[in-house]
Amino acid sequence: MARVLRNAGTLQESSGLSRTFDATDLSRRTILALPLGLAAAASGARAAEPKRGGTMVMIVHPEPSTLAHYAVSAGNIPPIATQVYEGLCTYDWDQNPQPNLAKSWEVAPDGKTITFKLQEGVTFHNGKPFTSADVQYSFMEILKKYNPIAPVMLAELVAVDTPDPMTAVLRLANPAPYIMKALSGRDLPILCRSVFEGTDVLQNPSANKPIGTGPFKFASWERGQFVRLDRNETYWKPGLPYLNRIVARFIPDAATRSAAMEAGEAHFAGYSAVNYADLARMKTNPILDLTTKGYEMTPAQSVLELNGRHPHLQKKEVRQAIAYAIDRKVILKDVMFGYGQPATGPLSRKFKTAGLYTDDVRQYDVPDRLDIANRLLDEAGAPRGADGTRFALHLEVNSFGEQWLRQAEYLKQALAGVGIAVTLRSEDTATWLRRVYTNYDYDLNEPFLSQGVDPVYGLNKQFLTSQIRKGVTFVNDTFYSNPEVDRMLGEGAREPDAEKRAALYKKVQQVLAEDSPMIWLIDVQYVSVFNRRLKDHTTGPLGTQQAFERAWMDK
Amino acid sequence: MRLARFLGYRLLLAIPVVLGIVVLNFFLIHLAPGDAASVLAGESGAASPEYMEQLRHKFGLDRPLATQFGVYLLNMLHLDLGYSFRNDSPVGSLIVDRLWPTGLLMLTAFAAALLIGTLLGLVAATGRNSWRDAVISLVSLVAYATPGFWLGLMMIVVFAIRLGWLPTSGYDTVGADNEGWDEVWDVGRHLVMPAVALALFYLAVYARVMRASVLEQIGMDYVTTARAKGQTEARVMVGHVLRNALLPVVTMAGVQAGNLIGGSIVVETVFGWPGVGTLAFNALQSRDLNLLLGIFFVSACLVVVINLAVDLVYVCLDPRMEL
Repeated sequence: MARVLRNAGTLQESSGLSRTFDATDLSRRTILALPLGLAAAASGARAAEPKRGGTMVMIVHPEPSTLAHYAVSAGNIPPIATQVYEGLCTYDWDQNPQPNLAKSWEVAPDGKTITFKLQEGVTFHNGKPFTSADVQYSFMEILKKYNPIAPVMLAELVAVDTPDPMTAVLRLANPAPYIMKALSGRDLPILCRSVFEGTDVLQNPSANKPIGTGPFKFASWERGQFVRLDRNETYWKPGLPYLNRIVARFIPDAATRSAAMEAGEAHFAGYSAVNYADLARMKTNPILDLTTKGYEMTPAQSVLELNGRHPHLQKKEVRQAIAYAIDRKVILKDVMFGYGQPATGPLSRKFKTAGLYTDDVRQYDVPDRLDIANRLLDEAGAPRGADGTRFALHLEVNSFGEQWLRQAEYLKQALAGVGIAVTLRSEDTATWLRRVYTNYDYDLNEPFLSQGVDPVYGLNKQFLTSQIRKGVTFVNDTFYSNPEVDRMLGEGAREPDAEKRAALYKKVQQVLAEDSPMIWLIDVQYVSVFNRRLKDHTTGPLGTQQAFERAWMDK
Repeated sequence: MRLARFLGYRLLLAIPVVLGIVVLNFFLIHLAPGDAASVLAGESGAASPEYMEQLRHKFGLDRPLATQFGVYLLNMLHLDLGYSFRNDSPVGSLIVDRLWPTGLLMLTAFAAALLIGTLLGLVAATGRNSWRDAVISLVSLVAYATPGFWLGLMMIVVFAIRLGWLPTSGYDTVGADNEGWDEVWDVGRHLVMPAVALALFYLAVYARVMRASVLEQIGMDYVTTARAKGQTEARVMVGHVLRNALLPVVTMAGVQAGNLIGGSIVVETVFGWPGVGTLAFNALQSRDLNLLLGIFFVSACLVVVINLAVDLVYVCLDPRMEL
């Protein structure tokens, strides 16, 4: 009995939010270190010297359908594609741009031109030298035309001038400060002009055999199994990368993915490839560890969308009542297993670093929230009927994973508490997307929304009147239309002054939280599981979605 | 000569069957709501209407259904399975890449199940109501009732994580670049658990069918006659009972062999085995219609061939049957 209790205690500890150094950890490490002798222990004490060689196996889930990273922005492509394609910049932990393919840059005082000085001596994997012509071609002929984020992120881009082979000048119609956040290989990769020129971009063979400037070259893709990337022996950064090879493995089953990590067959599983439910167990495994770092520039929220054309949901009081009725802490604990934070408004807390997030908005997580919700519903003319029910709604269950069904079940319970009867509807992805974004045949919808590197991406597509676009997925499907918000979002996009910009976005967040066109549930936190032998894998805020150029394997 | 005529006749009959399947599949699939463009755009987070139009145009989804059907039929007549736009790859090569792993897994599991299953059935029947019979019946009942995915996961926990004898998943050790016999050994080690997980269910079925079939045959007059002739018990069993008793098992196996190409999505998923089953499932989820139709076509052809083979096996087993 005592043993059972003790085990329960450890479990609880290990599922806690922050990872603390505890005694069990210490003893385990000591035991492991002993047989290896003093030398190993000593080297552990020093700042470890990177070792060259070795193969790193990472788990990517689900298997990408294509590696045409420049034309498809699905989240499972960058972990592979960013090993091959680089961007003009990388980012430091404060999310400031750092030199990469661009050595330096200068933003003109009017914010309408950005001049990049490019790195000399860089060659693509096909041997072609990298010049400003590649930058121009990538931005104007590929990214602007085919990248799904381009209609927002590159809307202001008019032309790229190339005064000399090592200078590229972005010319903008209006200032677009957010571009400086999107220059990584993940968001705006630089491609080789000669590979694409004169071909149909969307049918180019490099879609599945990428050719870039990155530290790893594409070697092969065995569909259903793995992608192999080999060390770029002529990489332009001297001495890098340390690894000989990266293999991205695809394992469809969640339990088997966890098992592959536990058996030491795979060394890294980023982007929550290991289910949240398994993380507590991973943490107790002596060969594994977890980190939540490396997702600082990957903000995302889970939300509950309300169809603004529904007779009840078009009333602000009803929408607010729903926001009061839901206990986000329950979702955090039971659906997200403690990873993430309860959302306070339309921006994730990850925008705090950029100074754009505020929690100075209408608070829905208050002690008497249920009383307020019931009162608001009464006032909105939706009284309880004889059976205690006010009205009935359908909730479309997100089809991208089991956890969303769990969330939907909680939402059903929570809303029943204030007299709203919810029926869950589960359909496959294609049917679900068609129902919600083309037919608008829904009441409640629980999507998971990526917010991009700047509010201009996430806020604009969800809340601008012009983004009510039938047939387009994950845009404004709540029919929210507020001229004041439209104006502020327009100004916010163009405002080069950081403080004025922050003030604009603060106001936007306050208005949106008050109007409550959707319910913001959780600021999502992804988790990486890694083998302790793998070092220096997470070296910046883009984490899994930037090159593993400094990663190395300890023997 | 008779065999050639028989084969020719049957293959001729197969043409309208396969054609019917192709046509039916095409229209059935188009009944499903949603299209490949919206799924692809959905995975991308957001997309402009222009981008989606671009995708639809590229996929040929903006053309009338009749035109799409005409194009498809014409391609099929050239044995061109089309192009999977989602995978940026020809359908034919996508399927061919998966056929070998699927075939290897399914044939191994199938052969093992058939061999061991009939043997167990025979042993159980000859020792009817003995402890052997009881043990075999119990084992096959448990194997029949155990879900494949659960068995798979339990095997991974025990043999891959706890004991470390076998790899958790995959087709071979990635990045090891084994050659020759090393590769055979490596693939074999990866094959053990999925094959067992898959075989156990079929094994149980064959054992039970075989047991019932043998018991039925043992009571027949010709068995009494054979014994009366003074033949040894072994000779009676192998020469007379076994051949007759196998017929229902072969029938059953023939029906189930139709599943061969489709693979087992569950076992493939659990063990990350690169089979046709998961390919078909993903194609359905993402409305990759060309790929899905291609898989349907290949499996329809295979079913036709397997049925033919089963008929031939009948003739070998039972000389009374004629082509």
